[in-house]
Amino acid sequence: MDAVLERILAPEPSHANATEALNFTIWNHTPLVLIDEQNPHKPVVLDLFGDNHNSSASSSPAPGRTCDAQGCKVAMRLCSLNGTVCTFRNFTSATQAVMEWYVLQATNIFSQVPRQELVAMSYPGEQLILACLFGAEPCSHRNFTSIFHPDYGNCHIFNWGMTEKALPSSNPGAEFGLKLILDIGQEDYVPFLTSTAGARLLLHEQRSYPFIKEEGIYAMSGTETSIGVLVDRLERKGEPYSRCTKNGSDVPIPNLYSDHNTTYSIQACIHSCFQDHMIRNCSCGHYLYPLPRGEKYCNNQDFPDWAYCYSDLRINVAQRETCINLCKESCNDTQYKMTISMAEWPSEASEDWILHVLSQERDQSTNITLSRKGIVKLNIYFQEFNYRTIEESAANNIVWLLSNLGGQFGFWMGGSVLCLIEFGEIIIDFVWITVIKLVAFSKSLQRRRAQAHYASPPPTVAELVEAHTNFGFQPDVISHSPTTGTYPDEQPVPIPGTPPPNYDSLRLQPLDVVESDNEGDAI
Amino acid sequence: MAPGEKIKAKIKKNLPVTGPQAPTIKELMRWYCLNTNTHGCRRIVVSRGRLRRLLWILFTLTAVALIFWQCALLVISFYTVSVSIKIHFQKLDFPAVTICNINPYKYSAVRDLLADLEQETRGALKTLYGFSEIKSRKRRDAESWSSVWEGTRPKFLNLVPLLAFKEGEMGKARDFLTGRKRKVSGSIIRKESDVMNVHESKEVVGFQLCSNDTSNCAVYTFSSGVNAIQEWYKLHYMNIMAQVSLEKKINMSYSAEELLVTCFFDGVSCDARNFTLFHHPMYGNCYTFNNRQNETILSTSMGGSEYGLQVILHINEEEYNPFLVSSTGAKVIIHRQDEYPFVEDVGTEIETAMATSIGMHLTESFKLSEPYSQCTEDGSDVPVENIYKAAYSLKICLHSCFQTKMVEKCGCAQYSQPLPPAANYCNYQQHPNWMYCYYQLHQAFVREELGCQSVCREACSFKEWTLTTSLAQWPSEVSEKWLLSVLTWDQGLQIKKKLNKTDLAKLLIFYKDLNQRSIMENPANSIEMLLSNFGGQLGLWMSCSIVCIIEIVEVFFIDSLSIIARQQWQKAKQWWAQRQAPPCPEAPPSPQGQDNPVLDIDDDLPTFTSALHLPPAPGTQVPGTPPPKYNTLRLERAFSNQLTDTQVPAEF
Repeated sequence: MDAVLERILAPEPSHANATEALNFTIWNHTPLVLIDEQNPHKPVVLDLFGDNHNSSASSSPAPGRTCDAQGCKVAMRLCSLNGTVCTFRNFTSATQAVMEWYVLQATNIFSQVPRQELVAMSYPGEQLILACLFGAEPCSHRNFTSIFHPDYGNCHIFNWGMTEKALPSSNPGAEFGLKLILDIGQEDYVPFLTSTAGARLLLHEQRSYPFIKEEGIYAMSGTETSIGVLVDRLERKGEPYSRCTKNGSDVPIPNLYSDHNTTYSIQACIHSCFQDHMIRNCSCGHYLYPLPRGEKYCNNQDFPDWAYCYSDLRINVAQRETCINLCKESCNDTQYKMTISMAEWPSEASEDWILHVLSQERDQSTNITLSRKGIVKLNIYFQEFNYRTIEESAANNIVWLLSNLGGQFGFWMGGSVLCLIEFGEIIIDFVWITVIKLVAFSKSLQRRRAQAHYASPPPTVAELVEAHTNFGFQPDVISHSPTTGTYPDEQPVPIPGTPPPNYDSLRLQPLDVVESDNEGDAI
Repeated sequence: MAPGEKIKAKIKKNLPVTGPQAPTIKELMRWYCLNTNTHGCRRIVVSRGRLRRLLWILFTLTAVALIFWQCALLVISFYTVSVSIKIHFQKLDFPAVTICNINPYKYSAVRDLLADLEQETRGALKTLYGFSEIKSRKRRDAESWSSVWEGTRPKFLNLVPLLAFKEGEMGKARDFLTGRKRKVSGSIIRKESDVMNVHESKEVVGFQLCSNDTSNCAVYTFSSGVNAIQEWYKLHYMNIMAQVSLEKKINMSYSAEELLVTCFFDGVSCDARNFTLFHHPMYGNCYTFNNRQNETILSTSMGGSEYGLQVILHINEEEYNPFLVSSTGAKVIIHRQDEYPFVEDVGTEIETAMATSIGMHLTESFKLSEPYSQCTEDGSDVPVENIYKAAYSLKICLHSCFQTKMVEKCGCAQYSQPLPPAANYCNYQQHPNWMYCYYQLHQAFVREELGCQSVCREACSFKEWTLTTSLAQWPSEVSEKWLLSVLTWDQGLQIKKKLNKTDLAKLLIFYKDLNQRSIMENPANSIEMLLSNFGGQLGLWMSCSIVCIIEIVEVFFIDSLSIIARQQWQKAKQWWAQRQAPPCPEAPPSPQGQDNPVLDIDDDLPTFTSALHLPPAPGTQVPGTPPPKYNTLRLERAFSNQLTDTQVPAEF
């Protein structure tokens, strides 16, 4: 069903007759069309199978066949609501159109196949990995953990550290690294799904999910690819300093990649977020991303609108931005900086025996079954200087803050914390005194009111005079007040602190007492 | 002045130091607590009430403990280093991507211009190395260059002759054109370094460049004939192309539709209209994607190859110039929108029949300018005129500097760089000796004799894309058939024949992830930091503040200066008085003048406050009588006064 499409796009329209016996169900769902834009105001839409099959679109059959690349655009027709609302997704190149269309249909088909069958259909580890050497120790496909990737099928992870401890490699240099020979079996490729041939590999942290489509690199067949690695580790402090998350528990999006028990990463979050949007908008999950509980993958039978919905969502920038804003980076981030170099492998002189040995090892046959186009050699090793940690540390801590505050305060005022306490004390005193004064003032007010009420007897004067006369210290007071300067001279043994306050207090206290007793005028 | 007098008096009074400030330890402590600048102690003594005093003791002790603790922490943190690199995860601007074919012009179009040169090159190859045209290449069959060769006199070889040297007899060279040996004067400059030991016995090929009067010549030799022929060809090629107008050159080069077969960005189709033309002198037509057309910069909000730029390039190997370029492919430069793409210097080469995937990481660096480092913000303060229409960078500055010097010295501009105002490119007709001049200048430039390197400064901020390049075979064997036929259909009219896979290259450029690293320089000490550090130091060593400093300034500068000034003034006055009345009796004036300040002090002492505080009469009357007793008495009295002073406000 794929070859048809190709034949139609390719020059000879006469071949269309030969392909009568095609199943048009997939084609009808989302057809590729040609749009003739020679008249820009009234574009003519041509169905590729227009003359064979009556499609719902306005198919003007005969003249369209003459249209070439200059005038025509290939587009994909995406319809929803039973074909009432349609959009045309334009492509400038037929290649892209074919690839996009094929990928769309492939996801539709694969999503209906159970996972076990897909795993069985993909490359098993023993077929892919022909030879493996880690340092000086031999290893085999049993040292690899298999994981199924919707795009790439079976992927094999070395030293994932899920069940066993991670292997250390402290020595730099190609000798101590991982050496692999892979068989990619180029003859068995699906022609439309991918046009590149090679292996895809990704270096990632232990226990993290490999997002090989986003971050992976190619390794070419027929070459030896050497990858020198430099590990760049970044550790961040977290919340008050930078916006990052330790394990993803504070991100509002459930991590769909957690069934492998992998650690949180921003890619996982963004993909989960997309799948979340997909389920909300299209009510089915996209095949490329893992499925939340109780949801189904999209396919044409159950969800006829999904292709329209998906392509709408995919180019929606607002959706992506909400995802970016929702997701947080993880605080510990490891980057692998790679220096890639390539050389031809196997060399012409060694090609014969290497291929012979490898094919014999693989299927015990004496004739060469492998070809130069199908094998990849990989060397992955640490560079000389192999590990670098960048750690975040707070620029200003509490010690810094305090010392700076102290410095500023001291610089401008010569003050300290004790100064502040002193100030506080004075304020407390001030408040205390005002309270006392206020209380006294209100008391006196009350008394005055009371006086105003009684207002009759003025015997206080006599009493006052009596009280004054009663005290024998009166002459002292008189002599004392005008000549304070000469006062110390009079005292032969001057203990200056004690006597005058005594007198003062004596003088003041009786006065107070007297006045309060006599309901005095003022304090 | 009054304060000066007072201080003088005080100093005079306190100068005879007779021992510690107090007779007993307890008194000394008391005295210290009252007079010290640190506040806690004073509070302890001054406070009334046992609870208060206890609290103050507690506070003071806590403060002392805190100081010790904090200082210890500071000392520890002094020895740690902190690096600040910020990482943002956000939508990133996609950089501008410039794509050039390595071959600048279609050979079929340039051929007419270069016909003579090509013939002579072939002739030279034949005589030097016995190389003749491979007949398998059909398109060059038509030429029978050897016959033409005989007829016309070669002009290029005459102008700059290729020479073959015999090792050992350096003075002589064989001009292969005439076959005769001729003397070569002038210095021989080797392109290869002298340290390298090139083939001993073999012939060395080079060419001779002479200045106007041919008295001053330099000979450039190469260890390999390949280099020699290519350099020689390039010289003449530049000379020829310099005379061609820009429009013609653009027409001779590749159009966007020819170079770019398909284009896909961020899941959406794009085509040649999304690329802007940029003509590079050595690389012909280059096309820049995302070059701020319509004032918008495309951005990526997803990492991964799917969401980046995917281009299939058509590299027509048949149109390649055989002598100018010897490799096949395209060059890609990833740069900022306002940056000039230096195609020849930076740039990743792309192979044909391969998919090249380039993953990017963005790093942004900001440096602090003038007081901290030598960098420049926008190049406006660099005395070199920017002849490129692009943002300043160190490379632009160096190239501009060289080009300006070239115009100054040689009178014409070098071909591979833009033209400064009021200058034109070098060619033989107008500037017969430009090559010699250029080579001389270039050598001076490399040896940093032109001063460009010292004048140019680096830019303060730059964006850098770290690239991870990997290759894969493309198209795969099984997809090759359909892919090529569909691509041919796509190209339609432009290409008559079927595309070959060695004519195509696939390029993927994408952000690996959306993490942006920005490395920023921050001033380690701001002004607040400086002040607070000052404060800290002053407080630490002197318990002193800005008030303290003002005090010091007042006392030691204003007051003492005024005192000195007054003394001088009085001296001058005396001297004047002496001069006025020389016959007067000599004794009275001088003691009077000396006595006067003392008298002043004496006058000053019994002001009412001091009189209240200290009775001067007994002290002066009985100076020799038991001093300790009196001292204590006096001190005690002072305390009592102070105490009463503080008491009064407390009472209120």
